[in-house]
Amino acid sequence: MIQLLFKRLTIAIPTLIIIIAFVFFLMRLAPGGPFTNERALPPEIEQKINETYDLDKPIIHQFGIYLSKTLKGDLGPSYKYKDFTVNELIASGFPVSITLGLSAILLSLFLGCLLGIIAAIKKNTAIDYAVMGVSLVGICVPSFVLAPILSLIFGLYLGLLPISGWGNGSIYNLILPVISLSLPQIAIISRMMRASTIETLNSDFIKTARSKGLPKNRIIRKHVIRASILPIIDYLAPATAGLMTGSIIIEQIFGLPGIGRYFVVGALQRDYTLVSGVMILYASLLMFLILISDILRVLLDPRVKINDE
Amino acid sequence: MNNILEVKNLNVKFDTTQGEVTAVNNISFNIKKGECIGVAGESGSGKTQTFFSITGILSDNGKATGEVIFNNLNLLDLNERELTKIRGKDIGFIFQDPMTSLTPHMKIGDQLTEVSIYHDKKSKSESTKKAKEVLDKVRLPRINNLIKKYPHELSGGMRQRIMIGISLMCNPRLIIADEPTTALDVTTQKDILKIFSDLQKEKITIALITHDIGVLAEVSDNIIIMNEGSIVEKGKTNKVLVTPEHDYTKHLLSCVPEWLK
Amino acid sequence: MMNNDKNEKLIKKALSVKGTSLLSDAFKRLIRNKASLSGLVILSIITLLSIFGPYFLKFDFYETDWNSIYLPPDFESGHYFGTDGNGRDLLVRILYGGRLSLTIGVIATLVSVLIGVTYGTISGFFGGKLDITMMRIVEILYAMPYLIFVIILMVIFGRNIYLLFLAIGAVEWLTMARIVRGQTISIKEKEFIEASRSLGQSSVFIILKHIIPNLAGTIIVYITLMVPSVIILESFLSFLGLGVQEPLTSWGVLISEGSRDMETAWWLLIFPGLFMVLTLASLNFIGDGLRDALDPKDY
Repeated sequence: MIQLLFKRLTIAIPTLIIIIAFVFFLMRLAPGGPFTNERALPPEIEQKINETYDLDKPIIHQFGIYLSKTLKGDLGPSYKYKDFTVNELIASGFPVSITLGLSAILLSLFLGCLLGIIAAIKKNTAIDYAVMGVSLVGICVPSFVLAPILSLIFGLYLGLLPISGWGNGSIYNLILPVISLSLPQIAIISRMMRASTIETLNSDFIKTARSKGLPKNRIIRKHVIRASILPIIDYLAPATAGLMTGSIIIEQIFGLPGIGRYFVVGALQRDYTLVSGVMILYASLLMFLILISDILRVLLDPRVKINDE
Repeated sequence: MNNILEVKNLNVKFDTTQGEVTAVNNISFNIKKGECIGVAGESGSGKTQTFFSITGILSDNGKATGEVIFNNLNLLDLNERELTKIRGKDIGFIFQDPMTSLTPHMKIGDQLTEVSIYHDKKSKSESTKKAKEVLDKVRLPRINNLIKKYPHELSGGMRQRIMIGISLMCNPRLIIADEPTTALDVTTQKDILKIFSDLQKEKITIALITHDIGVLAEVSDNIIIMNEGSIVEKGKTNKVLVTPEHDYTKHLLSCVPEWLK
Repeated sequence: MMNNDKNEKLIKKALSVKGTSLLSDAFKRLIRNKASLSGLVILSIITLLSIFGPYFLKFDFYETDWNSIYLPPDFESGHYFGTDGNGRDLLVRILYGGRLSLTIGVIATLVSVLIGVTYGTISGFFGGKLDITMMRIVEILYAMPYLIFVIILMVIFGRNIYLLFLAIGAVEWLTMARIVRGQTISIKEKEFIEASRSLGQSSVFIILKHIIPNLAGTIIVYITLMVPSVIILESFLSFLGLGVQEPLTSWGVLISEGSRDMETAWWLLIFPGLFMVLTLASLNFIGDGLRDALDPKDY
């Protein structure tokens, strides 16, 4: 296990550095710097600004400074929100985004797997079709279509749920955003789980289990679930990436003060440090998740040896 | 009443996209207590489907009609719940491919003990004791180590012996072995057949399905030959193999190399 | 002798069975599948409408009419789907939007396919260290939130429509590369490749003539499944204001405008949404149908 962790880290760190470099140079490539949209400034002031933000140094030097600061956890000052550092901005949005994201991951995994297994066991019955129908909705109705519609129905017409704002993390404010965010992933995961479970149910070892005369519940609990869930573990990281992407839209639609919002604003205003900072945060989270899914795989599948690739 | 199993007019049909296919066509036979009966035939002769239908593990699109009398009940009349009580307890099954027939993520010990825990309501420790006895019976070494291992750590021969062991956990009245040696290499086959011989000597009733005549010649008392869903010949092994009556049997036997007979 | 007669009968029987080519068999199965058939029909209708529809309508998509803002759907005025806040006819805008969304869907997907197939076949065919490195890169990229990448690209290079195609395509190729590589590896192991090699044919030739045609089925299936996600990606961008620019419009833009006004003008959200959902659903059904048709498993 330690070996696995070590191996992953040795890949993760260079990857992170590459991503930081990528974002850094990409942003610098963009025509115009962070201050070109504002009124022309007298040269002395411009020079002072360049000095403060290190913009006058050769680009490699800038990168070096940025890299070392970043690895120490200092993401630098925001170019646009002049009184704040990127760290502060991210920290303010973090609780919102993490609550949203975590709830969505858990909901997607739990519901997705549950629905998938049920659909597989009751294959080709009304329940199967119902589950697959819901899943179809999740795939074909993008979140930015679904979210407003759900808001309309539950928020405006039925008056049950608030349609925007964070409300200090009240659970009512979370319901619509989390559901709109999770539905596409629930759809995908339930399909994968259904296909995987069907394949497991048709396999030889389940035939053996049936021939042992074990009750159906036992077979499903002890034999089927663990064997079927393996492909889902591989999907964990892409699923999270999908949720991160979706959260940007959802935060926008529901007016949630999370990190996604800062990202979009930063992108539109060429706030280099802010955008890089958010990007690095997301990338790190994802790498952490890849690590977790590797560990899960080793735990759940005894056939996977730790130094297997 | 010394027949363990009486099959009367068994028909097995499958509903496929190309229409209805008859796999087993009105067959009847008996299995006596303590005998080892061999069921031979080519692939597709219906021999496997016969026994799958007896234990109720046909695919969803299959339907069996007729009478299968076991324990004074017609198995075909029972519902799934009642059948699960009989499977694994009174009827043990051994499948063909040991490489895929064991659950990959469960320890060997658990795969054995769960049978008697659920059927005989034994405790974990009693079950484990029985598991070790059974593994000994199938001639497996280092049993205490073995029960903690996972299937992928074992060879095909060992896994097949474990399968046999599983079928023995509840002292079944009948064991059905579907091509138990087909997926194994010749030396391992011999070892497995030895185990069947042992079981036969203990007067455990066995139905051995295979297309390998050599296997049957070694272990079975009586033989049933099937072709295209029907029984073409049945009788004592020695008699059928030496003096076959039906054309198909003759044809089947002619495929066996001379020096094996 | 009995044997000869029996043989003759068998031979006659074998000769009388008419073979069906893989493609025609697959096509028949596709058509028989009701879901994919309806998908094909609906998709064709929407495509035809998007291309030719505007010529039959009396409004232009950029035509504003300050006397007719926020009109609900209404036959008489000719605004069958109503108007938006600028008095522009919704139906014609939806059809124009359709042109854009569908075009982006197709072109960006083609870009992905091109990159993905090239990458995947090279990686799978040559194997070894090259393969490991290439797949490592894909693994890392795969876990990146693609939207963020695209946003960054869009910000840097401006909101050029052609760039949009490239940017989206350049992000979606990963899945295709992975699948193609897996398939290449299993095809590579087949004997006819060995035969080809022993005839002295070059690697490039083998890839082009033998491997890629065998990949065709898989590629087609994945195309139908990628187009929806490309359309969604473009819509995401447009929704955030980072995609297509005025006066061009796409379904994403329309839905974005519609959701802002949904309380007072529900039609502005529902109709574009409906078109988008129908298109996505059709593509998914067709994709599922194709997958079943080319590799039938009775599920």
